[in-house]
Amino acid sequence: MNRSLICLLVLQFAGPMAAGQEPAATTKEQLDFFESKIRPVLVEHCYKCHAPEAKIIKGGLRLDHREGLLKGGDTGAAIVPGQPAKSLLVKAMKYDGLEMPPKGKLAESVIKDFETWITMGAPDPRKSDDVPKARTIDIEAGRKFWAFQPVADPTPPKVKYTEWPRDSIDRFVLSRLEEKGLKPVTDANRYTWLRRVTFDLTGLPPSTREIDDYIRDTSPRAREKVVDRLLASRAYGERWARHWLDLTGYADMMGTSNNVYAEFAWRYRDYLIDAFHKDKPFDRFIREQIAGDLMKADTIPERAENITATGFLMVGDVEIVEPDKAKLEADHIDTQVSKIGTAFLGMTLGCVRCHDHKFDPIALTDYYGIAGMLRSSPSTHKIPFGVWSLLNSTDLPETPEQREARLKIEADYEKKITALKAEQSQLAMEKKTVEAELAKVMKDDAKKTELTKRRDELAGKLNPLVGLIQHAEFFRSKAPRAFAMHDGDKPADMPIYIRGNPYAPGAVVPRGVVQVASWGKLPEIPKGQSGRLQLADWLADRRNPLTARVTVNRVWQKLFGEGLVRSVDYFGARGEMPSHPELLDHLATRFMNHGWSQKKLIRAIVLSRVYGLSGLNDESAMKLDPDNRLLWRMNRQRLEAEAIRDSLLAVSGELQPSEGGPGLVLEEPANCGDLALKGVNPPNYTHRKPRASQEYQRTIYLPVMRTNTTDTDRIRNYFDFVNPAQIAGQRSQTVVPTQSLFLMNNDLFRKRARVVTDKLISQHAQPEERLKQLWLTIYNRPMTNEERDRALKFLAELSPLVQANESLLWLELCHALLASNEFVFRI
Amino acid sequence: MFNYNSAGGLALPHRRRFLQEAGLGFGSVALASLLHGDTAAAAPVDQLAQKPPHFPGKVKSIIWLFMTGGPSQVDTWDYKPELQKRDGQPLAGSDPKTGFFTTSGKCLKSPFKWQQHGQSGSWVPEIFPHLSKHVDKMCFLHSMYLKQNNHAPAAIELMCGTNRPGLPALGSWMVYGLGTQNQNLPAYVVLHDTRPRGDDQIWSSGFLPKSYQALALDARRKEAIDNLARDGKHTDAQQRSQLDLIRQLNQEHADVRPTQADLAARINSYELAYRMQMAAPEALDLTRESKKTHELYGLNTLACSTFARQCLLARRLVERGVRFVQIFAGKGTSTDGSVNDVPWDCHTELDTNHRSCGLHTDQPAAALLADLQNRGLLDSTLVIWGGEFGRTSDSQGAKGRDHNPNGFTIWLAGAGVKGGLHYGATDDFGYKATQNKVHVNDLHATLLHLLGLDHTKLTARFNGRDFRLTDVGGEVLKPILS
Repeated sequence: MNRSLICLLVLQFAGPMAAGQEPAATTKEQLDFFESKIRPVLVEHCYKCHAPEAKIIKGGLRLDHREGLLKGGDTGAAIVPGQPAKSLLVKAMKYDGLEMPPKGKLAESVIKDFETWITMGAPDPRKSDDVPKARTIDIEAGRKFWAFQPVADPTPPKVKYTEWPRDSIDRFVLSRLEEKGLKPVTDANRYTWLRRVTFDLTGLPPSTREIDDYIRDTSPRAREKVVDRLLASRAYGERWARHWLDLTGYADMMGTSNNVYAEFAWRYRDYLIDAFHKDKPFDRFIREQIAGDLMKADTIPERAENITATGFLMVGDVEIVEPDKAKLEADHIDTQVSKIGTAFLGMTLGCVRCHDHKFDPIALTDYYGIAGMLRSSPSTHKIPFGVWSLLNSTDLPETPEQREARLKIEADYEKKITALKAEQSQLAMEKKTVEAELAKVMKDDAKKTELTKRRDELAGKLNPLVGLIQHAEFFRSKAPRAFAMHDGDKPADMPIYIRGNPYAPGAVVPRGVVQVASWGKLPEIPKGQSGRLQLADWLADRRNPLTARVTVNRVWQKLFGEGLVRSVDYFGARGEMPSHPELLDHLATRFMNHGWSQKKLIRAIVLSRVYGLSGLNDESAMKLDPDNRLLWRMNRQRLEAEAIRDSLLAVSGELQPSEGGPGLVLEEPANCGDLALKGVNPPNYTHRKPRASQEYQRTIYLPVMRTNTTDTDRIRNYFDFVNPAQIAGQRSQTVVPTQSLFLMNNDLFRKRARVVTDKLISQHAQPEERLKQLWLTIYNRPMTNEERDRALKFLAELSPLVQANESLLWLELCHALLASNEFVFRI
Repeated sequence: MFNYNSAGGLALPHRRRFLQEAGLGFGSVALASLLHGDTAAAAPVDQLAQKPPHFPGKVKSIIWLFMTGGPSQVDTWDYKPELQKRDGQPLAGSDPKTGFFTTSGKCLKSPFKWQQHGQSGSWVPEIFPHLSKHVDKMCFLHSMYLKQNNHAPAAIELMCGTNRPGLPALGSWMVYGLGTQNQNLPAYVVLHDTRPRGDDQIWSSGFLPKSYQALALDARRKEAIDNLARDGKHTDAQQRSQLDLIRQLNQEHADVRPTQADLAARINSYELAYRMQMAAPEALDLTRESKKTHELYGLNTLACSTFARQCLLARRLVERGVRFVQIFAGKGTSTDGSVNDVPWDCHTELDTNHRSCGLHTDQPAAALLADLQNRGLLDSTLVIWGGEFGRTSDSQGAKGRDHNPNGFTIWLAGAGVKGGLHYGATDDFGYKATQNKVHVNDLHATLLHLLGLDHTKLTARFNGRDFRLTDVGGEVLKPILS
């Protein structure tokens, strides 16, 4: 957003105010001067935006009366009587910093007139009728809004249909339904429930064996066993880490320009997978991401983890090409503040960069309080060549074993470099010899032809070696590094940037947090520290009214399709009210009471009765509550891009487990741009040669390019991937023909379908057996008789078209199933 | 989370009408019955259905010939006699840090011969022998300016209205506001050769749903549209019967959920996709054009065949109702010091660079104007010529120019604008816009106005805030409207 334009409010911090100062005495000459030289210019060039005739008073500045000029707007007083050099109005007219009027600079003589006028004390007979009042935020009134109220622990309500609830969650839901005279639809069948919970928890379909195990398991704990198995899987970590990445702006590229690769971003991604996998307590998870580098660690791996976690604040889109480094810094801090606001607090803090929030009780001081902490922890640096900046990275501590292993790898790697160099010098020497011989040959004979050929061969071998050696040397260090935050040399409070502009500093604001969501004074920031640790503690405190609510609501949204608060990223005044405020608080309290364990929260929810409802229709409920806000049935969800691609691999049995690691294939010289580090641009990356293994890895492990240049980026994009320049906790679910084209024609579907088909044909001879197996593999449920008949008819009709080619015949059927709604939706 | 506002959102009648009008080959009865008893509160189905404009607009389609890399205003459309006179002399008020590198502070005159053309007497350099014949159609905005001085950020600012990525581009807003006129083709098409810097971000739908994202056609790839072609062994008949099966499967899936209208849209989208398989290759098939047309555009000449192909494609797409076609023009050649993805980027050799870029783009662009006019399409189509910024009036090195976002020229030609008009001006050296400065927001406000959209009313809510293409700025440039 172009923040410099959106300031509509008058600041209360607009610097020293000169209102009330009257010029000693105003003479008639002075007034004449004003009337002839000043007023007409103001009327003609300024009133359109800076007088009541303007629809919006731009910048909060009124130029139609003397008080307006003296009081000024967002950028402070417009004139300082007697001091033209200090008067912003004159600076703006001179196009020095500000440029006014915007349509073109006025004549020099006019500007001189204004200087003269200000020097004489700015005599001006115009009086104000209504001086706009500065808006102040009433924090106490603001606290009355539901989201800022302390989280309550409501007692689960009584219900009439007592045999229905399984968990207290169900009582909150049922009670609301009963209020409206509605009742929940029937439970989903066991196949549907298993597919649903498997997708929701892992992003993958259940295998036929898992289906079989569950269906055979008639014990009362059957569902719990499934849920515990799923929660324990690494796939769970992979799935939920990807959800979190949507809130970070993660990509394997730093900015959008010139494909500058973000070499260490993957470490943050792996940190997330691990954190979700081992169910890191969420309050701890928050603290580490904001201030892990400032936290005490007992072990070396823990220290490395803490540092890596702060990648949260680093991985977003940063415009590293911005030559104006003050602006770059301010913009990146804004990304960070906005991210903290959205991810943890459900507040649009970004709006407050330029003005007090228009809808919520959040003031500029809140924004710049947090911004000061981040400004005290610089996160980019300019490279020594060109105008670019890069994200800061930190060496990660290693255990002695890790270090030993790494040094061994590096030693082997050095041998490779030595070998390459030896080859180079040997070839060079040989070439020299050949050239010397060639120089001696006088005649154009066979010998000359042969020598020339040999020389060219050698040159052909030598040429690529230069690049290979450069590449090998560039990446010779294997020391673990991560994009990470660290406190700068001089942590300090920062000034408000008036209208977000770093060149218009206003009053200095003490570092702090969002007042309306605070319960007391922020503990003092130790000298020499940024304050991120105090920010982290405040975010992750039980008393913070937003954090737990926002978090449990995000979890709910992933499991039900919609949040209890549907605007998952925004809990403010213009967001949505919770459909079940008491349930939200119940979940938040329970979450905190259970050690901020996300797994315990998810476990409780997916084992509830309401989660197990079918998606079937109910006429009367549909009439009263067509949006299913009251949860009388389960919402259907389309799979995300990642889940579609991953499921194809799962269904075909080709999915390969991964331990993580870099998604960028930097070890392949063909993927790297110029590594000379002396051109104007930093090295860049093009995903030309993927690693062979990447075809079979889950999508989260594949690189994310902001410019959507890889095949995987394109798949992500067909299915509503969150643009990594934005952050959003919920993806939209569009329906566009490009998705259908993808399902119908993309190679991925044909390839995976072929593998499924080959297995099917080799394992089962009878068509009916094959069909059963196919339905179970792809739809994860038994086939109905109607479906069997239809499929057999399809095969019979298609057979002549494919010359009875059995493999092709089954391929088409398998592909049709994979491309159908039932596969790409979870119901 | 993205929400529809009341103006841009879809009310039920639109959706139902769309499904009725879609003229489905089969299943339409079933679809109609699916919608029976549906309520207005269900999710909107077809985000691309045509929507009425705020008021009647003069422009139906826009073709933007994006001169990638940033052409020099003082060597293209903004003739500055003063600069010609003061070659090598200090440029008063020059800021060596205007561009990406550092400039000399000394005036560099345009190396080209200039002549006045048309009734408007517009000055045109020799590098545009074809376009010079059309100056009376062109409405020049000489006082464009923006903030960013590097390619990707500037292109993003020019297309999205602000300098930060992640917001919807002009084309996405257009389709969001007006819907599509042809369901068989994408409404917003980008034609590129080498991908420009900034790539997808320049034509991003930002926080708007992906339905409003451009379809980018890469002239270099055999398959212009992803996944449009079936694999070799997959015949039409096979696919047809496969689709019938999918339809039946989907129908059953939907039958038990009769209120979930997006399932109906999804069923429909397979049919649209299937039809797009037919419609898109037809639209993109230039062999259907006459030899004369090929020659007019310069398709047969080595220098401009790429851009000629793109321009002719643009005409064919606009003819078929595509709303916005943006061509990232030109192809750098290694000999003129420019790079593939930023052909006009004349840091070192302005003379050869701009001559070569002129050679690549002049004839096809002129042919497009003539062709559109002959077919009566110029009455409803607006052609825009312009790149992401201008160049410095002082030199970079001896013979180059650096980036300059403080003043540059773009021209509009066709529906709704006054031909032969020169609006706004830069200073005597073409260094900075001084008169009637046109901000990107103003340009966008004007373009939306021409399309029948009020830029202050075209809003979309994202995370509690109503966003506009023009943010809180933008003024319609009334003097240029015809």
